Amino acid sequence: MLKTAQKLIAVAKISARANLAYPGEVLGRGTFLLVVLYIFLKLWQATYSESGQSKLAGLSLAEMLWYLTITESMWMSAPKLAQQVDEDVRTGSLAVKLIRPLSYPLYCLSANMGERLVRFSFNLALGACIALALVGPIHLRAEALLMLALSVCLAFLLDGLGHLIVGLSAFWLEDTSGLYLIYTRLTMILGGMLIPLDLFPGWLKNLVVYLPFPYLVWGPVHLLSTPQAELAASFLELAIRQLACLVALSALVALLWQRALRRVSAHGG
Amino acid sequence: MFAVHTEDLRKEFTLKKGLFERRTAVAVDNISLTVKEGQAVAFIGPNGAGKSTTIKMLTGILKPSSGKAQVLGLDPWRQRSRLVRQIGAVFGQRSQLWLHLPPKDSFELLAEIYSLDKKSKQYKSRLEMLIERFELAAFLNTPVRKLSLGERMRAEIAASLLHRPRLLLLDEPTIGIDVVARQRLRELLAQWNREEGLTVFLTSHDTGDIEAVADRVILINHGRVIIDDTIDGVRHYGAPKSADTGEPPDMQSLPALEKVLSDLFTAK
Repeated sequence: MLKTAQKLIAVAKISARANLAYPGEVLGRGTFLLVVLYIFLKLWQATYSESGQSKLAGLSLAEMLWYLTITESMWMSAPKLAQQVDEDVRTGSLAVKLIRPLSYPLYCLSANMGERLVRFSFNLALGACIALALVGPIHLRAEALLMLALSVCLAFLLDGLGHLIVGLSAFWLEDTSGLYLIYTRLTMILGGMLIPLDLFPGWLKNLVVYLPFPYLVWGPVHLLSTPQAELAASFLELAIRQLACLVALSALVALLWQRALRRVSAHGG
Repeated sequence: MFAVHTEDLRKEFTLKKGLFERRTAVAVDNISLTVKEGQAVAFIGPNGAGKSTTIKMLTGILKPSSGKAQVLGLDPWRQRSRLVRQIGAVFGQRSQLWLHLPPKDSFELLAEIYSLDKKSKQYKSRLEMLIERFELAAFLNTPVRKLSLGERMRAEIAASLLHRPRLLLLDEPTIGIDVVARQRLRELLAQWNREEGLTVFLTSHDTGDIEAVADRVILINHGRVIIDDTIDGVRHYGAPKSADTGEPPDMQSLPALEKVLSDLFTAK
């Protein structure tokens, strides 16, 4: 168990280092983030002005932009795990990874985690500078930030499992790009990346809390705007929901992988 | 002890033909072979002959449809996690090195994956030996994407030997590599087989690789073993029928291995 953990940490570390090889890509993401956040600012300025309210879903305009800064940073930090797994399956590169004493799904998840944490840190640093320049600082509590950090890690793990499920479906589907598109768009919309869940119609919000999507984005970031008195309980509830999703998605990945191994075919001569 | 032993090893694939129709394709057709530890075997055949399928069954990646396989005394499919610690594999067109990082980083990761003690004298001396023999020092800290194909393949093979495997499986390791680099790789593989007693199981379309590295050739076609012989023995298959007098033929008069294999591959 300890040895496996050491292996997974080593994979995450090397994956994080490999992602630092291209500073140009980081700069490109920063520019994109600037454009996106500026558009969001203008859209939400119009929405706030139109509604005549100073707060929507309990957030002021500045808080809304910071909310979007964090959700965008999380969204844009997602490595292309699903496409990578799909490619491994189709090209036969999976063979190289199967002859190592380390489970392929765990290898993928830890590489994904290492890369994602680096990308997220850069995105967040850049996004924070942009948000500061556009709307100035907001009040953030240290304990809420700590809880955010923990729940973001769980959210990344959950999203990694989601990507793995999409990628592994290449064993059965001709093309996984459609499934990938559906998964990412559901995360974007039902995950609360563009609009906080509190602005959803009641029936929709009541429905999506039973799906894993809100716990990939909205749940962690929502902690920042949760009142102090409810923070601990909200974090605990979120953690339980995230862990429940983690168990369910892990079981699904394990089942898919077990079946997929029987379908591994030889590519080449 | 046998490094590889198979009995009637068979692999069938079910292929879809239209919506409801299914067709069974036999990729490996009851192969029986034995490779002793320390041997260097060239496992060759035309494209689609079943070479990669056999290698993937021997590494435990593919489950055989029927028959038996033992690799280093282990059942590859059932005991894959134990087996992978004792074998190394190099697939010519698939890399195990991290493209954007130097080979040194990939070596360190592999040491962790194989649970090698990086502080031990044994590990350090192994790494030093690999760096020296495979002449890696000059580019050990250069990102893999900046290496030539020959340098990359040397690093690739060295990486697969880091955990001291007893059996090295190579699937077309010299593909796309220039003549000089190819020659160097062949020398290294032959040297490792000779001096370290490493069992080498090589597939290649390059007869130069086969002649330089292997002492035995197993030729398969349509999933079946056609010839299992020494290199000189294989060349006899190309001897003209009229010269078959019962006397051992003059080796100089026998056709080159490439010509013999080309004829055998195209024969129906």
